[in-house]
Amino acid sequence: MSNVFKQEVVYAVTGIVTVLMLLEYFFFENTQLWAETIRTWAVIIFNISLFLGAIRLTMSHSLRIQKQGRDWQFSGVLMAIFVVMLLTGIIGYVSTGVQTSNGIYNWLFNYVYTPLGATLYPITGFYIFSAAYRAFRARNIDATLMLIAGCLVMLKNAPVGEAIWIGFKDLGNWVQFTGQVPGMRTLAIVGALGLIAFGFRALLGKERGFYAGGGE
Amino acid sequence: MSLGKLADIDRRVFYWILFIALMVPFLNPIGFPITISPNTQDLYDGVTGDEVDEGEVWILNFGYGVSAWSECHPAVTVCTKALFREGAKIIITGTHYDVELTYNKLQDTVPDFAEKVYGVDYVFAGYMTGGESVVAQLASDIKSVFPQDHFGTPYDDIPMLQDIEDYSDIDGVLSSDTGDFGTHFMTQWQGAYGTKLAEIGIAMNGSTDLPRWQAGNFFGVSVGSRGGAELEQLIGELGEATTAMDSISVSHLLLIIAIIIGNIGVITEKLGGKN
Repeated sequence: MSNVFKQEVVYAVTGIVTVLMLLEYFFFENTQLWAETIRTWAVIIFNISLFLGAIRLTMSHSLRIQKQGRDWQFSGVLMAIFVVMLLTGIIGYVSTGVQTSNGIYNWLFNYVYTPLGATLYPITGFYIFSAAYRAFRARNIDATLMLIAGCLVMLKNAPVGEAIWIGFKDLGNWVQFTGQVPGMRTLAIVGALGLIAFGFRALLGKERGFYAGGGE
Repeated sequence: MSLGKLADIDRRVFYWILFIALMVPFLNPIGFPITISPNTQDLYDGVTGDEVDEGEVWILNFGYGVSAWSECHPAVTVCTKALFREGAKIIITGTHYDVELTYNKLQDTVPDFAEKVYGVDYVFAGYMTGGESVVAQLASDIKSVFPQDHFGTPYDDIPMLQDIEDYSDIDGVLSSDTGDFGTHFMTQWQGAYGTKLAEIGIAMNGSTDLPRWQAGNFFGVSVGSRGGAELEQLIGELGEATTAMDSISVSHLLLIIAIIIGNIGVITEKLGGKN
């Protein structure tokens, strides 16, 4: 019985929802109430999954702290910040209806999270710089072509390229629009066809990878 | 030092060179000229002049967080200014959890907010979750996704939303992303209903976004900080992105020099081996 609920019911629900949404998208000009209801359910389920994610995160890190496993101190910091943000957010929401009305919550967001977030992404520039030096090697003709194309696009994107030679812009544009766009279009179309094939397999119950347990 | 050793320079040397080199344009701006890309020009044309009528309602989606402010925010700032100056109304929403921070920053970077009335000229709907499903649902029933705005005001009490029900009441969408939401709006809005759609993305997404601009799915595309700098030139108000262009020039040039140095080392090693 449990196997029926774990597999057959899941196949049936997936199949029915897929058919209904396909029908609505392709055969009805105006949106249908039943399709709107299904989409609302999808949004609600997505939000529930966020809540479950928070619970799972709490459980996982609490367990690591309890067992004092590897780098458990980081889990301690994470849990402490998690609790502080949760409590201050709830206090703000209960008192005014807006979670960011709490001073501590706002301060942590504006003066801790924002500078850290703004710093994190630019730091990758240093790694890219070092990685490009080590990895971008003209070891064969393919790598050489990729290296030249990459350099041309970089010189096209950075204003210094045009300052050195105005032709870098045209060369970079040629690589980007004539060279790269057909490749990306091919990838997009092939990916879309693959997705359609995956959808049909899921519809027919042959694609079981995303069901519980996975595998065919 | 033999040329072969050029292939094995310690990474910390590069970090320091980049760090010091990036200081130079901040202390002494260079100001390389910036030309306008056709995709950026199309974006600017699409949010100005005859393309936007007074009273039109646009959706502005923040699909980027604090870490991508440097790449996406200058272009979003210019487009918001342009839409406000054409008399358009804007529904601001976000698919990234930093949406409120980005909204607050937009208030700082767009002085036009001071002349606009909240709830009449613009509204901050807030954060929405649900991936592509919520984008589809937004097209069919906006109120079901946002029964109230970010500050808790019920949908029906917001004057500019009185006649807004679904995609047919929206004149255009600007989606600014580090992820897939531009694609979701393309599938669920532009592809399905022909809604005007433009994308403001990080530089890495340029290779994905530009084919869609060429195909007509996006009426315009801004690519990274460079796109933002081009838009600042077009509107005639230089800002963060224009300042960043000198740093981008220096870092890109250093990157190319590093690649050349690395390859000189490899070639020398190969020649030495053959000898």
